[in-house]
Amino acid sequence: INTYYLVTVLYFAKSAELTGHRSEVVPLPAATSSCQLWALLLELHPSLAALQDQVVLAVRQQYVALGDQALLLADGDEVAVVPPLSGG
Amino acid sequence: MSSREEVGGSMEPSRDLIGLSSEPLSIERVYSSAVSPSCGAVALFIGTTREHFEGRRVIRLEYEAYEPMVKSELSAVCRDIRSRWPMVKHICIQHRLGLVPVAEASVAIAISSPHRCEAQEAVGYCINALKASAPIWKKVIKSVCVWCVWCGVVCGVWRHSRIAFE
Repeated sequence: INTYYLVTVLYFAKSAELTGHRSEVVPLPAATSSCQLWALLLELHPSLAALQDQVVLAVRQQYVALGDQALLLADGDEVAVVPPLSGG
Repeated sequence: MSSREEVGGSMEPSRDLIGLSSEPLSIERVYSSAVSPSCGAVALFIGTTREHFEGRRVIRLEYEAYEPMVKSELSAVCRDIRSRWPMVKHICIQHRLGLVPVAEASVAIAISSPHRCEAQEAVGYCINALKASAPIWKKVIKSVCVWCVWCGVVCGVWRHSRIAFE
């Protein structure tokens, strides 16, 4: 049985427009992968599919490309949806 | 006299100054926070908003950022710069957020070093690294039909950088 934690999910730029949220607290499984995390966010907000193939996540302020590598979440962690960057 | 200045300059600790602001950037302040008595050069880069994007006139740009992560990413960029160009003295990186009218500065970088080569190379590296790694997004508000009140909303597009993630 996977433990679930309350994680703050932040949405920026186009992802904020697509979801209508800038941040929300979501119960997410403690042991997961970035791919599974993205799939769960897609379930919550199907409109995020528009960002498929261009998005990365940031977990505890570290970029994580979508993939299968194990990801451990803790209570109160911060996950951000990061559309393609365009600063400068 | 000159030797005292040199000693004084080298005693001055190096600074990394990273800032995000919704106020217009002061180029003077960016410059003066990088200038150092031990340095013969301050290289400056200023990024400004263009009036055209994909063939349409731009009314303004709007920037948003994941602020704490911008600071940690740009601190890592500063560490990279210092390991590549050990002679670099001060680094100042300021990025504007919120609405930025056309022809105003959206980003300003100043880097000092004893001789110009290091500062110039480091500034070029710094703006490329910022674009590639700082979680900042610009939305381009284009003019399509000047009579339409809603155009500012409808015609805004998130600009996608051509620089891919590392």
